[in-house]
Amino acid sequence: MTEPQTPLKPLHPTLYRLAQDGHSLDFFFVQCRACDGLSFPANVPGCMHCGDPLADARKLSRPGGGELLEYVTLHVPLAPGMAAPSIAGDVRIAPGIVEEGVIAASDETRLHPGMALRAIAQVREAQGVYACCFVPADAEVTP
Amino acid sequence: MSASERSASNWLDANGGVFIAGVGLHPYQFPSETPYTQLGLTAVRAALTDAGLRWNQVQSAYVGTTSIGMAAGRVMLRHLGWTGLGVTQVENASASGSFAFRQACMEIATGMSDAVLAVGVDKHGDGRRAANKDGLERLSDTATIPAVKFAMMARTYLRERGAKVEEMAGVAVKNHANAARNPFAQFRKPRTLEQVLASPRVAGDLTVQQCCPRGEGAAAVLLVSGQAIKRMGLDSRRCVRVRASVAGSERDERQYGDAAVELVRSSARAAFEQAGIAATELDLLELHDAFSVEELLYSEAIGVCEPGEGARFLSRGGSQIGGRCAINASGGLIGMGHPLGPTGIGQLAELTRQLRGEAQGRQHPQAHWGMAHMIGLGSVSIAHVLSAAT
Repeated sequence: MTEPQTPLKPLHPTLYRLAQDGHSLDFFFVQCRACDGLSFPANVPGCMHCGDPLADARKLSRPGGGELLEYVTLHVPLAPGMAAPSIAGDVRIAPGIVEEGVIAASDETRLHPGMALRAIAQVREAQGVYACCFVPADAEVTP
Repeated sequence: MSASERSASNWLDANGGVFIAGVGLHPYQFPSETPYTQLGLTAVRAALTDAGLRWNQVQSAYVGTTSIGMAAGRVMLRHLGWTGLGVTQVENASASGSFAFRQACMEIATGMSDAVLAVGVDKHGDGRRAANKDGLERLSDTATIPAVKFAMMARTYLRERGAKVEEMAGVAVKNHANAARNPFAQFRKPRTLEQVLASPRVAGDLTVQQCCPRGEGAAAVLLVSGQAIKRMGLDSRRCVRVRASVAGSERDERQYGDAAVELVRSSARAAFEQAGIAATELDLLELHDAFSVEELLYSEAIGVCEPGEGARFLSRGGSQIGGRCAINASGGLIGMGHPLGPTGIGQLAELTRQLRGEAQGRQHPQAHWGMAHMIGLGSVSIAHVLSAAT
């Protein structure tokens, strides 16, 4: 599979890369040989499910996304450089794996627990990178 | 609960039992230029006076701290005299002081020592966390920030229980009121519900006044063995007994969001089993209310009220001083403050004063049993049960 051509680099290269469509993200996982479970990110030093050292485990990529479990608006910048207000959400990105992510929505009214999300690239031209954010799976995204 | 804790009748009964003989605090306060040594020594000297012990009778010291740096204990304690006692520094995030206390209990119960100091002292630090040094990238810059996690827990709690934001904010109203009656508390002003709700929003439905402040301070307790109480000429009527000490850490969550609550539930249950009492027998409970929703969640998990009844238990006055079980009579982390290292020991000092009947201005009537329950980043948990002298 060829990667889309872009001068931008991923902000977190161990977590994701740009997908074929040029705006969605693929996430990197590692699959445990002992229990078959997926762990995230792919460079974890032990299986999240059984503790296996993952020495010969298979690394794989999957379309980034998942189920929105909960979300809140962050009214103040809680980390350096972050925008506020913004929305943070817990997303189940694979069975047994819940990660907090940035939800790209102007307010909470379009969100509800259980909805499907997909990960897209949030371009930061000035930094020459793209970051990850989640949008509703049925949202139209302009490349 | 570890296997040994489950099978032992009660390891804390060895050496004649483990008792708190003295407590002392430096008031919690906003970050200042005061050296930590001054904070800590104030607390230790007060504990020595309260116990009626001399420094050269203390055989060992455990120092709970998160942000001061290496070897904080010896640098501070040398000002009390060079007695050659063992000094050990303990760091376990918010639960550092609680774990220092547990180490002291173990040292007494094994018979290694008869008089041990547990002291928590901290200055506000730079918040460096091991979770940010694990070599793993994260999708969100706020993934390791507790305020976000608890704001999401609050949102889930309110939705699933059908509770109102006002009910959750009631935790802060109660705890600020208790803190106003505690001379060691960082906040000394009662807050109305309107003030709590109108304070700036931080994350989700949590406002500033529903979150613990940054701060510094110190708290100390002196532990003695039952064998030593008479030998050292201590007043046994003022010695409060340690009935349970249980530690644990998070397991895989069975369903989304239940890991922290399950951790609280299991550690509290094990502590009650060790102490030989039911949750409903507790007169006092000091718990980790860094964010208001935690008190509602944990009061249910610990079992002082029925599942789903946390908000109503509060609104009916069950957790007030004078109610069925006074929760955070000290003011809790929201009102008394949360300087990290001292926080867990401050809880035990508050329970000691209450169980002695010496908590002037905020005394819970007929107090016999108390629990101090702490959570530390990670998460780790620790529960202690104390009983009044009989």
